[in-house]
Amino acid sequence: MSNPSLSVSGAAKAAPANPARPTMRRRSKRMKAALPYLLVAPAVIYLMLITLYPGVYAIIQSFHEVKFGPWRPVGLANYEKLLTDYQFWGALWNTFVIGSISLILQCVLALALAFYAYRDPWVKGWRIIFLVPMLFMPSAVAFIYKLFFLDGRVFADLLMKIGLIDGNIAFQSSTWMSRGILILADVWQWTPFLFIIFVAGLQGQDEEVEEAARLDGASWYAIFWNISLPMMKPIIAVALILRAIDITTMFTNVFIITKGGPAFGTETISYFIYRTGFKFFNFGYASAASVIMLIITIVIAQLVVKRAFVSSRS
Amino acid sequence: MARIELKDIQKSWGAVKGVSDVNIDIEDEEFIVFLGPSGCGKTTTMRMIAGLEDPSEGAIVMDGETMNEIDARDRDVAMVFQGYALYPNMTIYENIRFPLRMRGVPKDQHDAKVRRAAEFVELTDYLDRKPGALSGGQRQRAALARAIVRQPQVFLMDEPLSNLDAKLRQAMRVQIKHIQRELKITTVYVTHDQIEAMTLADRIVIMEKGAIQQIGTPDQIYNDPANTFVAAFIGSPPMNLVEGTLEGGVFRAPGIAVENLSTRHSGQVTLGVRPEDCTVTGIPTHLSGTVYGVEPTGDVTYLTVKAGDKLIEVKADRDYRATLNTPETVTFDLTRIYLFDTATGQRLR
Repeated sequence: MSNPSLSVSGAAKAAPANPARPTMRRRSKRMKAALPYLLVAPAVIYLMLITLYPGVYAIIQSFHEVKFGPWRPVGLANYEKLLTDYQFWGALWNTFVIGSISLILQCVLALALAFYAYRDPWVKGWRIIFLVPMLFMPSAVAFIYKLFFLDGRVFADLLMKIGLIDGNIAFQSSTWMSRGILILADVWQWTPFLFIIFVAGLQGQDEEVEEAARLDGASWYAIFWNISLPMMKPIIAVALILRAIDITTMFTNVFIITKGGPAFGTETISYFIYRTGFKFFNFGYASAASVIMLIITIVIAQLVVKRAFVSSRS
Repeated sequence: MARIELKDIQKSWGAVKGVSDVNIDIEDEEFIVFLGPSGCGKTTTMRMIAGLEDPSEGAIVMDGETMNEIDARDRDVAMVFQGYALYPNMTIYENIRFPLRMRGVPKDQHDAKVRRAAEFVELTDYLDRKPGALSGGQRQRAALARAIVRQPQVFLMDEPLSNLDAKLRQAMRVQIKHIQRELKITTVYVTHDQIEAMTLADRIVIMEKGAIQQIGTPDQIYNDPANTFVAAFIGSPPMNLVEGTLEGGVFRAPGIAVENLSTRHSGQVTLGVRPEDCTVTGIPTHLSGTVYGVEPTGDVTYLTVKAGDKLIEVKADRDYRATLNTPETVTFDLTRIYLFDTATGQRLR
């Protein structure tokens, strides 16, 4: 593309018809100016269709009362109602609790595993294997956990077999045990994702820097704390944002494993929105809740990105 | 501050031999340079001294103590890496302070030591910058300051100047030699640059294919090479090596005849003569050929003469000029002629 010979138009005129020379093509100025836009156009159009249109649609809908009939404008009424809706706040809290515990657990676990294994040649060659849990369909994972802890009682049976407990464990009746199942399922499925990213990040670090630290007298954990971890900051931030966005919209596991119970104790925001929209058919109200969710996600993502990147530069 | 002995060191990765039969005694306070082309095992040997690589066989002894089982961080050696290996997330100040922190030096001494080391390498104005904001030469000096700050037993330097431009390299060379003499720390320096080796070293260890070819002072290496590899590796331009036959003290090769050689050897030999030991005389003596190339550099002119199918490099007078393909004759300094066994490459004495 940047072959200089293409743009030397004067030379082309001066040396006519040399059979050994390839033909010289000239691009019009307008074509040159339009090219970058043309190249990104497919992606932009795609994004517009699948995210921008429904997004704008939801925002507009959130200012209306929408049941099955025509839309009725209600101004900010949906948002006002949300502010005093204890189920909405409960769902926010549940999302925060389940999400943050699960995020912290998988992050720490993935970092520890990555730091332990990243220089291992076996891990270098076969890291794709660790992606297997991610390749499971999320609903399949949810069913496995549902069978293991609730319907199939596999876990309780195992404990009974080795004589640790006498009867079944009623996971459904405890808020924290139900949350625990959701957290466990999410950690199991998504730790490998973080692990792969962290391994790649650590493998990208200069090996000489680590050796220099060793010769300077640093132990492995001093190297981890003082060098590897600070250098990983931007990578960790991006990985966590991806996971955090995913976790804030946690739906499949809740829908399949707990249905938000017991007593709304595991109802996440997504499940709240689903219930409002598709069980009570209150679409305007559900849209308002999604808009608030969207704003929260964007704000958190912005803060994390800014902090992580500013501190790793300068 | 430390004597290092390498005893029968071998290093192999499976069937691949990296280093074999390395035996070196490095004196206290000595500046020793490992010199050789890439892949000759010099860096591996240094990494074994550092403890970053384990020898497959043999012993590394420092001040009488065998170091093989001792971890890298407990060997009290400091290393300057080719890529500097500064910690990118820390300021230069923190970089230099890092070894003090890790080795439990009392905190109240840190500041003075860091500033002293920074002064040594003239880096005091850049202490609050991060490595990314420094030039190559400044990073190099920061790495040097980090190595000297805790006064280690041994300095190891792995091609520390190879990423710098020629002018800066020369300046840093002088600085490194000065610092080493001042601090009196045993130093092992790895390079593939023979000028660096000649200018810095007390003794040079020339390596090729994992084995030592010769150990000696720069003068010994230059004036008394042990084999054709050493002869051709040291000197710029390198020594001319001509294969020919030796019969009754007379060496013959196409276009070349050298008589009155005081030697008892005969047969297939390689004659070595440095470009600086050749003179253009105009009288047919040792070499008669044609002018192949003339390269004036300002202070000296390099003349390449073709004799048979062999090109002979001559360091001629700065004003020397000649037309291509005209006949030319060259005289060798007979006191500085070297004879090597063509088959083994070993010096014939």
